[in-house]
Amino acid sequence: MGTTRVLHGRGALAGVAEGPALISKRTITGWGGIDIHTGKVVEPGHPLEGMSIKDSILILDGSRGSNGWSVFFHSAQVAGCGPAGLVFPKLDSRTALTAAVLNIPLVTDLREDIFSLIRVGDRIRVDGDKGTIEILGQP
Amino acid sequence: MLDGSEGAVKQKAIELIVRYAKVLGAQELCRVTWADLFCGCHEYLDVSGSDDFDAVFSKMSLCSELPVKLKAMADHCICYSGVEPDCTEVPDQMLMALPKRAQNQLYLSRFVDAGVVLSGNCIPYLTGFTPLAGEHFVSCESSAVLFINSVWGGCGNGDGIEASFCAAVCGRTPLWGKHLPANRQATIVVDIQSVPQSIHDWDALGHAIGSKLPAHAVPVLKGGFNRPNAIQLKSFFASLACAAGTELCHIMGLTPEASAIEKTLGAEKCSDLLAVTAADIAATIERLNPHQRQKIDYISLGCPHYHIDEIRRIADYLDGRQIHPETCVHIWTAGTIKYQSDRCGYTKVIETAGARILTGSCPSSRGYPGGVSTAAYDSAKQRMSAEQETDAKLFYGSREQCLRSAVSGYWEGP
Repeated sequence: MGTTRVLHGRGALAGVAEGPALISKRTITGWGGIDIHTGKVVEPGHPLEGMSIKDSILILDGSRGSNGWSVFFHSAQVAGCGPAGLVFPKLDSRTALTAAVLNIPLVTDLREDIFSLIRVGDRIRVDGDKGTIEILGQP
Repeated sequence: MLDGSEGAVKQKAIELIVRYAKVLGAQELCRVTWADLFCGCHEYLDVSGSDDFDAVFSKMSLCSELPVKLKAMADHCICYSGVEPDCTEVPDQMLMALPKRAQNQLYLSRFVDAGVVLSGNCIPYLTGFTPLAGEHFVSCESSAVLFINSVWGGCGNGDGIEASFCAAVCGRTPLWGKHLPANRQATIVVDIQSVPQSIHDWDALGHAIGSKLPAHAVPVLKGGFNRPNAIQLKSFFASLACAAGTELCHIMGLTPEASAIEKTLGAEKCSDLLAVTAADIAATIERLNPHQRQKIDYISLGCPHYHIDEIRRIADYLDGRQIHPETCVHIWTAGTIKYQSDRCGYTKVIETAGARILTGSCPSSRGYPGGVSTAAYDSAKQRMSAEQETDAKLFYGSREQCLRSAVSGYWEGP
């Protein structure tokens, strides 16, 4: 196995999580973009449509569309379909609140362009204590 | 408050607000004096697995596994309810099943007991929810955040539903983002190379700009356009907030913090420039209308909820006309505005023509009547939201085009 690639940012919520990356520079719309009972992205035409946020490391470039953004992720978590960890390269109020509500490891304030380095399905470890994102493997 | 000395409910609320502040990197909290809250028995709450108000409110709004009893919102905070799960004020038009209605009424009554005014609309800024310049507010409605920040100089972030409840309970929110003057300066100049005239032009422009704006942007609009009024801005901001998540938008020569573009752009001179042309707007309208002209089953008007002047104009058009018998037309507004409409006789004219005036909700919160396979809207926001909410074929046009379609029963828009 080669050297693990590590990205650095600010650890904003403590803990360590591992999972497959669910990553998109195009964020998911705030009202109805996720099926809260399955965690599946249901926004028509979205690059992640049909994939589930469940147990993923969710990496999105901001929020979009509604102040109901957080409740869709929160409801999915309550239904047992929430993500394992979060990476938001730069925070806005809706993404920050979503992280605070989910209370799972979060790394933010990234210096590098994560969207050019990680693809959907890459194995990722998010360390909210150290503020690191490790790329453990790429399929 | 954090140590529980002011009660368990305030303790849970401030815990989430403090965690939210830490995530943001905010050093302080600020005092919230207005809160617009997503009250009622909304569908997403079903995942909580309980129908006990305090259990549901604790888990879903305070993010607390420990059930605590809501007694009162912060005394210094004026609280409004936002959009409800159904049109509670017009029971014969409700879609919600009877047991759920009772549960919804119980939830709403608990909020009233806690000091929340049942307002039931998405335009609180037109119905008495009036944070002044520099005053800190929270709102569950993205277009209201954009309107109040931009037009009145009130200070609020998009946040989200849980944070607005917690802020209302503990009276505090993180001093971050649009609560700080330094973050209210424009980051991108948007050059409007068209001349929007109608409400529809402004609605489509909001979507066209929002589709091109980078994340986190604070735009300032300049160009040779005519001054929009508050009703045009209501539609413009709803489209823009929906498409881009924008929380603040300055307009040269109009909004209070855009008195001079140099000042608006702050110390760091902003070089980013986005041009939005008439072709961009035409492309937006075309993109939102992918289907051939056909029979229309359902037309929903009033997103955001209509101002009384919009209802007056609908009554003018429908006076002496009849809605096609196979087309269902719902016109959404605030309860207080329906009261004005009733007094002026507009409701009678509109309902005689075969449309219904409904309050408190919209298809996004209450769902769709059965048998709808085509649906039309005069709002890009509602048209976009509908993609996730119905399998119907969707259409987007002006209010006038929607009304002509209502009468003919066929799509008369672009």
